[in-house]
Amino acid sequence: MNNGIYGIEIAWLDAVIRLHIIVGLMTVVVMGLIYVERKVLARFQQRLGPTRTGPAGLLQSVADGLKLVGKEDLRPRNADPWTFELAPYMVFIPVFLGFVIVPFAFGMQVRILELGLIYFVATSSLGIIGWVMAGWGSDNRYAMIGGMRAAAQGISYELPLVLSLISVAMVSQSFNLNDIVLSQSTYPNLLWQPLVLVIFIIAGLAELNRTPFDIPVGESEVVGGPFVEYSGIRWSFFFLAEYAALFIMGLIFAAVFMGGWAWPLGEELGRGWQILLVTVKTSLFIFLIFWIRASVPRLRIDQLMAFSWKILLPLTFVQVLINGAVLVYDAPLWILTITGLVGIVVLVRLIERAVRPSPAVNSEFVSVGNEGAS
Amino acid sequence: MTSDENVDTTNGEEASEIAVVDSLEDTIWPLINRVLSSVDVTPERGSIDLITQIPRSDIIRALQILKDNEEVQFNYLRCLTAVDNESEGVDVVYHLYSIPKNINLTVKVNLPVDDKTIGTATEVWEAANWLERETAEMFGITFNNHPDPRTLLMPEDMTDTFPLLKSHPFAEIEILQGELLGYDRENQGDDE
Amino acid sequence: MVIESAPDFETQDLLINVGPQHPSTHGVFRMILEVDGEIVKDLIPHIGYLHRGAEKLCENNDFRQGVGYMDRTEYLASHNAELSYVMAVEALAELEVPERAQWIRMILCELNRLSSHFMFLGAFGVDVGVFGTPFIYAWREREALIDLFEEISGDRMMYAYFRAGGLAWEVPGNFEERVREVLVSTRQGMKDFDNLLTRNEIFLARTKNVGIISAEDAIELGMSGPTLRASGVPLDIRKSEPYMYYDQIDFEVPIGTNGDVFDRYLVRLKEMEQSVSIIEQCLERLNDGPIMPERMPRMLRLPEGQEVYIRTEAPRGEYGIYLVSKGGNKPWRLKVRSACLSNLQALRKMSVGQYVADAIIILGSIDIVLSEVDR
Repeated sequence: MNNGIYGIEIAWLDAVIRLHIIVGLMTVVVMGLIYVERKVLARFQQRLGPTRTGPAGLLQSVADGLKLVGKEDLRPRNADPWTFELAPYMVFIPVFLGFVIVPFAFGMQVRILELGLIYFVATSSLGIIGWVMAGWGSDNRYAMIGGMRAAAQGISYELPLVLSLISVAMVSQSFNLNDIVLSQSTYPNLLWQPLVLVIFIIAGLAELNRTPFDIPVGESEVVGGPFVEYSGIRWSFFFLAEYAALFIMGLIFAAVFMGGWAWPLGEELGRGWQILLVTVKTSLFIFLIFWIRASVPRLRIDQLMAFSWKILLPLTFVQVLINGAVLVYDAPLWILTITGLVGIVVLVRLIERAVRPSPAVNSEFVSVGNEGAS
Repeated sequence: MTSDENVDTTNGEEASEIAVVDSLEDTIWPLINRVLSSVDVTPERGSIDLITQIPRSDIIRALQILKDNEEVQFNYLRCLTAVDNESEGVDVVYHLYSIPKNINLTVKVNLPVDDKTIGTATEVWEAANWLERETAEMFGITFNNHPDPRTLLMPEDMTDTFPLLKSHPFAEIEILQGELLGYDRENQGDDE
Repeated sequence: MVIESAPDFETQDLLINVGPQHPSTHGVFRMILEVDGEIVKDLIPHIGYLHRGAEKLCENNDFRQGVGYMDRTEYLASHNAELSYVMAVEALAELEVPERAQWIRMILCELNRLSSHFMFLGAFGVDVGVFGTPFIYAWREREALIDLFEEISGDRMMYAYFRAGGLAWEVPGNFEERVREVLVSTRQGMKDFDNLLTRNEIFLARTKNVGIISAEDAIELGMSGPTLRASGVPLDIRKSEPYMYYDQIDFEVPIGTNGDVFDRYLVRLKEMEQSVSIIEQCLERLNDGPIMPERMPRMLRLPEGQEVYIRTEAPRGEYGIYLVSKGGNKPWRLKVRSACLSNLQALRKMSVGQYVADAIIILGSIDIVLSEVDR
């Protein structure tokens, strides 16, 4: 592998080669993720998943890709030409921009940026424009509803996501992803920021438009959401973007919360071990996402917004303040752990209170016994 | 059914009527008779429930009484339908149930063949809304002052064909299924 | 929460057409929602897509052929549909059904109630948004039940097994063991559903206080079955007007308190537990004997000028058969009183003022089978 470290000093050529490697890797990984999701979901639901295409169904994604490529490219007659055509790209490209800063191992990322985390947040919010463009340009009522819902949801959950990443950056004292990973050689960040971990997972689910936040693509209501008018390759762009975003979120999770390639075995490891560690941690996150998808119903749009603005955001603010207090006064970091755990308990209580109106009204059942009706 | 006692009257009809009324003592007829005393009611013993015939002019008033009266409280309309008796007109049938008292009543109204109109029971129970829509489109009955007289199961423009009337013919395949496919011929053979 | 626009700000309500083809498994039902933002202002249902004229056809078929039409009017609970019909014919012909046939009928009807409620749970889970897990759980349990029905009657869905007077043929020899086997797996399935959905916070948030209908409105609209009982009205035909041997069996009827979607779900789940208990009690009392009366006429002719209205408690509500006979071997008029039609009338009242996403869930909670609505 000809990376900048080993030879090529021309910066742009080095960057181009790295990007090509990333894109190549991405396509394979995304297809693999689609297959893994189908298998995992099937196992949760006591069925088998793909088994026939290729050995153990491994070529299923290839078959799906070939089918999608062969489909007719339909365009609604009244679709707005610019927004309709450009929407898939607007969704797809920002996700790939995010790959610039993700560290796979020591020295294996496209570029080391000083403001890596901020860059990641900035590019991930560009994707929302693509969703709205798809909804608007499709000239379809349901697509428009789906697009509006996606925009509302995306914007609402940006803030908890950003603030949670900032909290972690405060603890690690840097926005540079490489430094964040290195600072976790002894203790991973999730130890100091348990509440932020939970909030990151929830906000990440919402940014990825995954269950329980998949209202924009709710299958039993507005079928397919903003993508209902797209067919073939164009539709597969959206699909790939979703899984690529899932992968990036997993990698960021591994780097920021679990210490990337540096924890638990330190930074003097060989490259193979580092990649293995990162893979394991990313897989943990992705498996969790799939597990949640198989088990949990979908939230309604107003409940979703209320949850973000009224519950998640205040908690993240409080966490940032506590972080600041602890760091300014040089207090020991285990105070953060304790406050984080208390925060999780508070979060669960708030959710319970929001769901069951007080006083605790359970459906007490009066059973009609043998004395008959009335 | 009716016990032939030694009722010595000169009029045979009166005798049978008294006998019929007597045999209904063990049903809810005395109660209904008392409640609907202002209405002209003809009772009949049904297989399970009591069947009452009420003339068309009094039907909505009678239904309202049956719903509001404290002794009966028929607050549940079970079923509303019609029966086509060809030349004798169309009977509209209401099946009522009282949840507090656990009693049932069947009310029938006869409509002449050439004038199939009747008041709407939606004023009494909201449940009658769709039931009357279906009866109207199937039998050609017009329910006066119905709040929503569209067709329910039939297409919106099918307002001149009434499928459940006896005069509406079967398709040939349906006749084939019913009569010609062996069940009548069984009487001659000895299969099964 | 609705943001009030200024009075001279002209907005137009959106008309959303849901159906006749659905992603949720509800059959061919079309509703037009008039939506203001996310709130439903009006709901106009259109039915009749599955109308096949069962009532008219039955007038041309004799009393044994009618059974086949009846189980197609409610294909998820065919035994209950056939039951009303054969009970009506028996009432008019004054046939005495032997004891063994009655017990077997009760067992099959309760088993059918179980399989129908499983179908409800599966479809309801999909409506609420869990991707596929409750659906697959439901199907797993239904497979066990339907395999049992296939062993008995030869058919997986539309059984045509009841006859006027008793049953078509004797059940297989291992009937009792098979039923007990099926009950074991059914208990496990119900527990799985309970664990998955009942205390899930998101499920509670989606279903509590949604689609409320009060007891008075429900009675006024003629609703029946679990939908009515969830509003707090203790009406169950098996208790108030017992038929077959329900008065000899000890069971409870769960009643809801709120009348919302969650109560309808929970009432059905608890009813399933009661059904399992009923089946076990019936199995204990099952004895040997004939399944058809001895003096059974080959061609049933009913007396003239008789009519009867038989009502039974089907899984969806009160399934009634109104049979008018004017002599001969064919009914003069056969009216099917379908529970789903009366329950569906309440959809508009329950949905107006709720969110669009809730309208779908409310439709799912009424548990309609379009073949019964349209016959």
